[in-house]
Formats: sequence, structure tokens, C-alpha cells
Amino acid sequence: MKLLTVGIAAAVFGTAALPAQAQDAALSGGTIEVVVPFSRGGATFVSAKFLEPFFEKHLPGNPDVRVVDRPGGGSILGANWFAQNAEPDGRTLLFTTSSTANPYVLEKPEVEYDLAGFRVAYSHPFSAVAYVAPSTGVTSAADIKDASGLIYGGIAAAASDLPGLLSFEVLGLDIRSVLGFPGRGPVRLAFERGETTLDYQFTPVYLTQVRQLVEAGKAVPLWTGGAVAEDGSLTARDPIAPDLPSVAEVHETLYGTAPSGIAWDAFETIASVTYAFGLTGYLHADTPQAILDVYSDAARAINADPEFQTASEDVTGGARLVPGSEAEPAIRAALQPSAEVKTYLRDLLSTKYNVRF
Amino acid sequence: MFDPALVALQALLEPARLAALIAGMLAGMVFGMLPGLGGVAAVSILLPFIYLADDYAGLALLLGAISVVYTSDTITSVLLGAPGSPASAPTAIEGHALAKQGKAASALGVGFLASMVGGLVGALVLLVAIPVAGPIVLALGTPELFMFALVGLYFASSMVGPNLAKGLAAACFGVLLGVVGPAPAAADFRFTFGQAYLLDGFTLTIVALGLFGVAEVVAMLAAGGGIAQERSEIQRWGDGFRAFWQRKWLVLRASVIGVFGGFVPAVGASASTWVAYADAMRSAKDKSRFGRGEIRGIAASEGANNATIIADLVPTLLFSVPGGPAAAIFLGALFSFGYYPGPRMVSENPDLMYLIVWSVALASVLGAAVCFAATPVIARLTRIPFAIVAAPLLLVMVLGAYQATRDVGDIFLLFAIGAIGWLMKHAGWPRAPALVGFVLAQPMEQYFWLTWQIHGWGFLARPGVLVIAALILVPLLVGLVRRSLRVETSVGPVKPADIQVEKPLAGLILASLMTLAFAYAAWEMIGFNTDSRLLPALAVVPGLVFSVAVLAGRLRSGIDGFDPGFREPAYLGAIILYAVGVWAVGFNLATVGLLAWMLFGCAGMRPIGGTIYGAAVFGGIHGLFHLMQYAPPAGALIDLI
Repeated sequence: MKLLTVGIAAAVFGTAALPAQAQDAALSGGTIEVVVPFSRGGATFVSAKFLEPFFEKHLPGNPDVRVVDRPGGGSILGANWFAQNAEPDGRTLLFTTSSTANPYVLEKPEVEYDLAGFRVAYSHPFSAVAYVAPSTGVTSAADIKDASGLIYGGIAAAASDLPGLLSFEVLGLDIRSVLGFPGRGPVRLAFERGETTLDYQFTPVYLTQVRQLVEAGKAVPLWTGGAVAEDGSLTARDPIAPDLPSVAEVHETLYGTAPSGIAWDAFETIASVTYAFGLTGYLHADTPQAILDVYSDAARAINADPEFQTASEDVTGGARLVPGSEAEPAIRAALQPSAEVKTYLRDLLSTKYNVRF
Repeated sequence: MFDPALVALQALLEPARLAALIAGMLAGMVFGMLPGLGGVAAVSILLPFIYLADDYAGLALLLGAISVVYTSDTITSVLLGAPGSPASAPTAIEGHALAKQGKAASALGVGFLASMVGGLVGALVLLVAIPVAGPIVLALGTPELFMFALVGLYFASSMVGPNLAKGLAAACFGVLLGVVGPAPAAADFRFTFGQAYLLDGFTLTIVALGLFGVAEVVAMLAAGGGIAQERSEIQRWGDGFRAFWQRKWLVLRASVIGVFGGFVPAVGASASTWVAYADAMRSAKDKSRFGRGEIRGIAASEGANNATIIADLVPTLLFSVPGGPAAAIFLGALFSFGYYPGPRMVSENPDLMYLIVWSVALASVLGAAVCFAATPVIARLTRIPFAIVAAPLLLVMVLGAYQATRDVGDIFLLFAIGAIGWLMKHAGWPRAPALVGFVLAQPMEQYFWLTWQIHGWGFLARPGVLVIAALILVPLLVGLVRRSLRVETSVGPVKPADIQVEKPLAGLILASLMTLAFAYAAWEMIGFNTDSRLLPALAVVPGLVFSVAVLAGRLRSGIDGFDPGFREPAYLGAIILYAVGVWAVGFNLATVGLLAWMLFGCAGMRPIGGTIYGAAVFGGIHGLFHLMQYAPPAGALIDLI
């Protein structure tokens, strides 16, 4: 595929005289390295590979996009590497998830990158669906408070499970959490075995793996992490799973009011970075505006590409890219929560989940 | 049922797909042979090429590689004594001992055939078990997974060797290495010294290569320009076939053990290989040859590791939960072609399922055949001076380690653990228990705490747990009854061949180092959450006691007998200097220096020949870096190239 694209690129370059917009000169052709701080074959790596041909097609001059894995340290090693080595030329991107954002927000000592200082090239939403075992007696989100024996399986409280655990705080649920699983796949198997009864899976996984359980009557879908609404709050429904309410809606159903307070602020912060901007491509802090515009334009062009629309329907249930210009203010705000939210998060994690800071 | 099977075979036999399968197979064989580069490296490298033709061809390319990695790694393990992949450490121990006795042909023949059988059993399981394997995988809950790891550890205790204190201290050291990084039960990061590099813990490849590979390279370099003491005659394959046929049931049993290893995500090939190896030892009448060249050990471990990597595809295809790292990449490839494995895929894409089965079966048979054909050529390598072979070998090991995180820490860690492995070799500490302890520490701890949180003590009453516990208890009880009836069963203690005659100074240094390491770990451990402390404590406390005992014994018997003709420490020092060089001035400059020293200094090559060969090695390793799309490490102080 790469050879083919390079061939096409050469052909285009040779024959069709490029309409030389000013910004195209900022980034045209050549090689672009997308650094994924997780191992090959992981979800983030697969997503980066999925987007690769579309960026090769829609970035000016059809550059050769290379996805490079730099795993280690739960993504911290790769992000540190990016902070030290990337140049402000738009040719090196860090493509990562909340696994990189959470240690930054929690100010872990190993973090050597200023994530909120990076520029956002584009973002790919990656919401999650909560579902429950029928054995708990729950038939919809409305009776979740009456459930008995809710056991949530997760990996680690201070990492990817944080938004899920915070959603339980927002909804005031009494849940026993079993942490320490080696991955979300094994958690799903434990749910199928009946060892856990409440689970969160990212929406694409939900659509391809869990929906069958729902159809077979072995799982009951509850809600999604939600999506960013017009006013910037995390209250909209996930466009990929529009039948399910957001956490905010469930709160209204249960308590009659919109969620507010420190727990909600913390959830909104962490869940925005995890779900609404689940996979984000970052650029060097000093990247010129012209290059940022190139990426935003490419993201819009990819969204409009029918080929991408068909492919994303199959792979992610039809998720669209968010251009950096639209995503950046919200991401930066989410990465720099108030001192109260930070204190709340640290207190919650250290008292309830024995996390040390 | 068989109609789609024939359709799939026809589809696979189309020239482009068959070519892809064979290309993948050849790549898998090469990577299996390169020490430290196993299935993960092979499929990672092939990943960019799967899109060249259609989806079936792309998947056949990957499956070809996955199916033969554990066949060809036998060659490296037997001829060089360095495990071709981490899961073939038992083959390296037994096979290399046999090769030294001039029985390389038997060892290799049994290894290839056992690998082939393992692959075929794996394929058969995919074929017949996919429709019924779902309930089996779901029946294996966290308590059963914990018990499986425990069985592996128990069986591995047979590797401890004649000196109980050293063997158990080595196993404890392995567990200590295994608990570095995040604790599963509570949010502690253990023994990370504030280094981001250590947050994920150690990588299996680096630990296996360090413990076994580096010491072999040092010995090769010290042997200098000399020729291998005994030529390995690889002509009489008949012995290998006969030896295999006598052990066919053992191989089959090992393959079944391997298949179960594949069903269990995270326990994986290394664990099931050791379980199968221990099963071979347990069922042998004469146990005296284990560790000194026992062909049963090869038959069992090769049958098991190949079956495991194929059976890893069962949870991958049924639940989208990869059974091992290579299967994880295969899963990524399936996603990228728009296939979403799950129970429905079996009924919706029967063609694809059968294509996978055929690919695995075909590659397993072809791979064994090619190995038989290629071995005489490769065996000639053992006739050229060891120091010449050591140069590319060491660089490939560096690359194998470097793929772990692409951090220069990988290279330091390789040589740090290498130095410990070298010390262990010369201090008479068995290295196998350390590797097994490392491999099993993580799943054991993880699944114990999950079991504890979900089931409490109730897990002991689960039928699956009882069945697996019987695997430990029955042989144990039978042994006790026999002993009480005074039936003479054992013929002297097992003496693994990976233990050399003890060098007193190495013994002193290692025992002191271990005592210090365990003492430090005991001190740092005090600060952990209680839950994070349990497993480290189970390793650190006895580890400290045993290493103090070994140290005391060493001091009592004195450190006389220093051998001035023993030059290996200088060579070890030189390659550690190389690691520092890579960090300071970058890979290219340091490697040129290393090659010059190895080829002219150690191997005594002539200027022209050495330069040409060195350039070829340098170019070759750069080619590998390029192929894997990695940039070689740049220097921290100066970066010239």
C-alpha cells in the first residue's frame, strides 16, 4: 500500500501542477512520522495504521506517512521521546490516548513532556459504552441504583479506568472494583465468565464484540461516556451509539438534576481527554500556524472522503476526525484542570484506590 | 463441513497466496534462528508487506512466519546454546549439551519433527476446537489461570539442580526481576528507581537473551580464533527420526500441554514449554541425563512451544483477545482487513477460518522440511572461528533487545543481565529457574489477586482448580508413597549442564551481589501497600536467606584457586564498554569499534578480509534496522553519524 501510494504521489507530483497555496509550501510531500507510544498490534497502533493511507492521500504533496511504535512506561517513554526529539516542522506527530494525558494531569514524576503545550493536529473520538450483566437485575440505566452485586473489572485506577471510576462517583453508585487485569480484552472475558458484572468497552469494541452479547440477552447496555455538546460540556450523546444516554443524562434520570460539583468537573476533565478526544495527534509546541492549518484542512478533507466514510463505518461505527483547530481549546482546558479538581483526583485515588503520589 | 475446507485449500494454493505463505515462512525461519528475535519481530517486520496483494495473501504471509519460528529456533539453540527464542531455553540446555557430545543430528531431527507435530496439533485444534473451544476458554476463570501459573512454577522446580540453595536463590531472583514495574493489586510501582524506563518492568526477550545469550557470546570471543572443539556431524538424520518415533507419545502429550498454554492468555509459550519439559522429566525412568543432554527434553519443549503459538490463535479468533504478542499483531492485521474475530466469525467467514488452518498446517510441514535441508549448510558455521560468528550474533542480540522499547536502556539492561547470567554460569547457579521465575511472576501475582478479590477462599472449591491442583498433588503423593515404601527411583541428583565448574571469585561476587540486591529489595519493600508486598516478600525473604547461605559457604571454603588463564572477564568488560559507547557516541561509531576489536583483536582476521567481512556485518545489521523501520540509537554526548 505504501509503495502504491508513493507511486501515486510521484505521478501526481510529476503531472498535475499543484495549485500552490501558500500553506502547502509549509508541509508538502516527504516523510511524516507518527509516533505511537504503545506496541504494534495495540488499539492505538491499529487506529494510526487505519488513518495512515487517508493522511497520505489528503495531506499536500502526498507525503509518506510512517507509523512508528515507541512503547514503554505505559506510553510515558514514547511521549518523553517526542518531547525531546520532535522538531516544529510538522513532520513528527505523537498519536496517543489518555494513558499519556492522565499521568500528565496527575503530575507523575516520570513525565517529561508538557502535553498542554503541544499543538493539536487532529483528534479522533473514542467513546466507551457501559454495560451490565442481567444477573444484577438491571434492565436499563434507570434502575442501576437498585442493582445488587455490581463488580467492575479494570486495569489500574490512575490510568485508563479513571473516567469509568469517576462516572460511578458522579452517579453515586456503590460498586466493587476489581483492578489488576492485564487488559480490556481479558476484562471482557471475565465479564462473559460472570466474574465481573459491570464493564466499560470502547465503542468500536462494543459494536463488534459486545453487541452480540446484548442480542443474546447476556448483557444490558447502560450509557456511553458521552460526547462534547455545542456549549463544550460533555453532555451530548455519542454519535456512534446514539441510542444510549450519556452519563449526564443518566444523572438527570436518577436525580432529576443536571450533574454538577467537583465529581462532575473531574469526570468531565478526564472523560473529555479519554473519550471525546480519545486519540489525538500532537505536534511540537512551536509548530507554525500554517502547518497546523494544513492538518486541520486534511482532517476535514478526510471526513468528506466517501472512501473514509465507508471504511470508518466498518471499523469505528462511523466516527469522524475533529480538526485540531476545533479540538485544541477543549483539549488544552481539559489537560489543565483547576487546583480543586487535581486535589479531588489525588484524594480519591489515594484514599479509595491506594494510589501513591 | 469439509466443503468450505476444500474451497479454502484451493484459495490458498493460488500462486500469489502460496508465494506469500512461503515468503512468510522463510522470514519466520530466519527470525527464529536469530537469537532473541522470535515471532513478534518476524510479524512486525512483515506487517508493512501484508497489503501488497489481497487479504488472504497478507494473512498467509503472517501465518507462515508464526508457524515456523519455533521450528527453526531449534538450530540456534542446539548449535550455539543461545535460545533462538525465549520459549526454547530448555532446547538450548539439552540440545547444546547433545551437540557437544556429537549428537547434534539427533537433537535437531527430534526438534524439527516435534515442532512440526506441535504445529499440526495446533492446526487440528484450530480446526475441530474452534466450534467447541468457546466454553473451554470461558471455563478457565481467573482462579484456573492462577493455578496454571502455579503448576508451571512447581514443575520448574525440577530445574533447580544439585545445589538447593543456589537453585532456589536463582528462582527467587527471577521472581524479583518479574515484579519490577507496576503491581497488579495496588497502585504501586516497585523497584523502578524513578526511571520511566522501568515503569513497564523488564521484557522477556531481554531477560532471556541476557541470562543465556551474552554468556555464550563472551565464551565464544574468549575462545578466539580457535575452531570448535568437536565438529558437529549433521549427516545421519535416521537417528533423529528413530529418536523421534520412540518419543511420539511424549511429543503428542507436550503438544496438548502447549495447546492449553495457548488457551490461557498471558501464561503463554514460555510457561507451557517448561511445564511440558517438567512432564518429560517426571515421566522419565532415568532422570540422570536431564540437563546434560536428554533428547526427551527437546522433544517435549519443541512440541509444546509450537503448539502454543498456534493455539494462541484460538482466543484471538474466538474472543478478539490475543493469546500472545505475535497473535496480537495478527489480530491487528485482521482488523485492518475488516475482519472482526468473535464467535460469529466462525460461522460468517468459514473460508477464512479454514484458510488459517491450512496455512498453519502447510507451513509447519514445509518449515520442518526446509529446516532439515538447510541445517547441513548452517552447521558449517560451527567450523569457522567462534569469534567471527560472535560479532554478528552480538549485534543481532542488541537489535533484538532494542526492539523492546527503542530506548538505550534496553541495551544497558541486556548487558547488565548478561553480566549476571555470565556470573551465574561461572558461579554454578542454574539460570533456568531464574528465567521461569521471571516468566511466571507476573501472571501468578496478577491472577492471584484477581482471584482473591473476586472469589476469596471460595476459589479453592472450584472444580477446575481442583483438577489443576491434582496435577501437582498426585505426583507429589505418589512420590511420597514410593519413598515411604523405599522404592529406589532416582538415579542420583540432576546436574544441569548449564552449570560450569564454579569459579571461586565469580561465586563470591555473585553471592555478594545477590545478597545486596535482596537486602535492598527487602528494605524498599517495606514502603509498599500490603497487597503489593506479598509476592515480592515470598521471593525476597527466602532469596536473602539462600544467598546469605551461599555467600557464607563461599567465604568458608575461601576464594583460592584463582585461574589467571581465565580471560573471559576482560571480554565481558569490553562488551559492557560497548554498551556505554553506544550511549555516548551512538550505535554506528561504537559498533565500528566493536567490530574492529572483535574481528582483528579476537578473531585475528587479516586486514582486507576482516574489513570486507566487518563492512558486510555492519551493512547487514543496518539492513535489519531499516527493515524494522527503527533508527539505530544516537549518541547522548556526541552524535557523529
